[in-house]
Amino acid sequence: MRRAYIEEQKREHGRKAIAVLPVHYPKEILTAMDVLAVEMWGPPGPPRGAEAGRLQTYVCAVARNALAFMASGKADVVDAVLFPHTCDSIQGLATLLPDFGGWNKPALRYLHPKGEARPSSRAFVEKELVSLATDLESVTGRPLDTERLRWAIALHREIDGLKAQLLAGRPRLPMDDGALYALLRRGEYLWPEEHLVELRAARDQLRADPVQTGVPVAITGYVPEPMSIFATLNGAGAFVAADDYAAIGRRVVPQDGPVEGDPFAVLRDRTFAAPPCPTRASDPRIRARHLESLFGRTGVKGVIVHEPKFCEPELFDVPAVKRSAAARGLPLLLLEGELELELSAQTVTRIEAFVEMVSTGRAA
Amino acid sequence: MITRRIQYELAGRVFGPALLSFEAWQKRLKRRGKKRGPSPFGPPLESVKKLKEVMSLHYLEGRYADGAVPVAWVTSGFPVELLRPLGFHTVYPENHGALCGVQRIVPELSDAAEKEGWSRDLCSYARTDLGSVLLGKTPAGRLPKPDLLACCTNICQTVLYWYRCLADHFRVPLVLLDTPYVYGEARPHHLEYVRDQLGELIEVVEKLTGKRVDMDEIVGIVRKAREGTRLWGECLATARARPAPWTGIDGFFHLAPIVTLRGSEECNAYYRLLLDELGDRVKRGIGGIVDERRRLLWDNLPMWYGVRELSTLLAERGFNFVCTTYTNAWAEAGSRIDPADPMGSAVLAYTHIILNQDLPNRLDIMRRLSKDYSVDGAVLHSDRSCKPYSIGQIDLKERLARELGIRVLILEADHNDQRAWSPEQGNTRLGAFMESFS
Ligand code: SF4
Ligand code: SF4
Repeated sequence: MRRAYIEEQKREHGRKAIAVLPVHYPKEILTAMDVLAVEMWGPPGPPRGAEAGRLQTYVCAVARNALAFMASGKADVVDAVLFPHTCDSIQGLATLLPDFGGWNKPALRYLHPKGEARPSSRAFVEKELVSLATDLESVTGRPLDTERLRWAIALHREIDGLKAQLLAGRPRLPMDDGALYALLRRGEYLWPEEHLVELRAARDQLRADPVQTGVPVAITGYVPEPMSIFATLNGAGAFVAADDYAAIGRRVVPQDGPVEGDPFAVLRDRTFAAPPCPTRASDPRIRARHLESLFGRTGVKGVIVHEPKFCEPELFDVPAVKRSAAARGLPLLLLEGELELELSAQTVTRIEAFVEMVSTGRAA
Repeated sequence: MITRRIQYELAGRVFGPALLSFEAWQKRLKRRGKKRGPSPFGPPLESVKKLKEVMSLHYLEGRYADGAVPVAWVTSGFPVELLRPLGFHTVYPENHGALCGVQRIVPELSDAAEKEGWSRDLCSYARTDLGSVLLGKTPAGRLPKPDLLACCTNICQTVLYWYRCLADHFRVPLVLLDTPYVYGEARPHHLEYVRDQLGELIEVVEKLTGKRVDMDEIVGIVRKAREGTRLWGECLATARARPAPWTGIDGFFHLAPIVTLRGSEECNAYYRLLLDELGDRVKRGIGGIVDERRRLLWDNLPMWYGVRELSTLLAERGFNFVCTTYTNAWAEAGSRIDPADPMGSAVLAYTHIILNQDLPNRLDIMRRLSKDYSVDGAVLHSDRSCKPYSIGQIDLKERLARELGIRVLILEADHNDQRAWSPEQGNTRLGAFMESFS
């Protein structure tokens, strides 16, 4: 947890800070209420505390590490925690921590609906957004200002637009994958206006013509941990030309235009406009079509699937992802990890061999 | 279509019963002359024969169902009362999965699913089912192809991912009842959401079948479902007696009708029969095991491939599982069903399933069961491939032991995949657990 940064945000700006578990949540509402969202994807590495033992070893590292981190007091700099309704494991954690010990501050939940838009789920998500705003009001002690919410929506639309430009213009960006992903992931904890400045600066670096000379590959999965995966990929002669990580590309919502009408209705529409994601139980057929189109647009030569072990939403979709790659005649590499700090030597070798195979055009 | 319908009806009413009686007669012939050794169990329940008959008939009918009547594959927590008036034949892949587990064919089926790309870490019911679909292999002879998939997330989110894969495979519609998890009290808009979805769901199934849902018929089925769950609850409650007239393991098998035939007269008739027999055993002091010395609670799904061995090991030392959170869940849910308000009460009943409620609620249930059934200890099955049921057990163990002063064991296994169970290690742990009572 970025303790020094969070403390500075609280001290200098009078903001509250909330730890947020993965994946999808309406960050706009938090920003509008002057709440700093600090996302907790693990954190990576071995569990930082014995409390991880309260979850069995067959539960994913994201949930176990979050439990250890929070229950050992390492997240006490934040004022509350938000559990989005992502999967059975986070759902369980959202009762284990506050109800059985380890977290004494407010615990909020955001139960986003599953599946595609239906009249019932559209009505529900809107009420759930209002309900979350009410819960946040009790944490911040201030009411939500509708104009400020409009401002926050516009701000996050611009952020998403810039991320989309960087991801789509990847071959024209003179930056290695490690630097690009570090920039994109700073949004997991930076105050959004600061992140916006950094993204704009990166956008300004986009060239008219491609500068990346490596072999373009697609990457899909949950969260890019360990980040050294990019150094390995780049070192082997590839670069990520298409991203479908839950933490990155699947949270970039293609929406622009002015923010008109009821802001909660705008946020509701945003929920259903997001790219398909298994953690929202999207239809694998729709996802397969989305991926095929992404692979086609970006001209990638191979697909890497990078998933955490024991992750149901992601792992159920693997056959559909495989089929999407096969439909485009693309070789596929499946990597399963546990949020290690570094890739194992064996994984490095597999990535290198895969890149060599796709560069020489030898199909799997 | 008409021929298929006739085959379906005949399978259920004529050939099925005849075939089953013939099979039972053959089994009796084979057994004749074989001497039974001393068993730690009480005399077998007579109702088992009827149970086999009811369930076999259901699967037999299923073989001829597609093309004859609409077929729905349904999750165990789905409000099936809405489908029955439209004449759906329902298949419960979880129940079918258990059947495969008992027959120990899960590794073969799972291998097929794993080959396709589904990880071995995923729920073993899902792997069993997907493997069975891919190989076309089932101990039931044949499963009818679905026209509809009906999924409710009140047991877990995992079922939805699983059913998405089925929808992808069969190219049939999937209806979803998404039940927000209950932390403390359900919020009003969460219940409204469930109610709205029930309305949408009815529209979809009406369109699919070309029939209108008759509310009066639903009320009748809801009434039967409530009666069925009440009877099931009473059957379970007979195990409060000492000795308990049956074992918790028996309960896992006798659960099948309330899961698969809920809302039907045959389900209720079966539980009346079972209740009579259990009541009679209580009166006559006949136990599920011969010498009941210690009473235990079981948490989580059973290990279908090893229940018999496990209960024998315990029964030989005088230990009986007299209650289980899993079988109890089917009695609890039904108590909220109210025929006077079928939709409103269905919303409450289907949202407040044990697995859709927080851990304090689960602890309350375990406390209550422990007291009502006077248990001396508990075994919490830490089920490798069922996270929603297993998360929290380490804390639950500590709390149960501290608050109730009972001994609690966590047993690592899997509900359907025997490859995740180490009998040597497991039996040693159980042995030490039983030893600790002396
Ligand atoms: S199971 Fe998957 S979605 Fe859930 S917390 Fe773990 S990694 Fe995240
Ligand atoms: S994860 Fe558990 S609750 Fe869900 S289908 Fe599998 S066994 Fe049932």
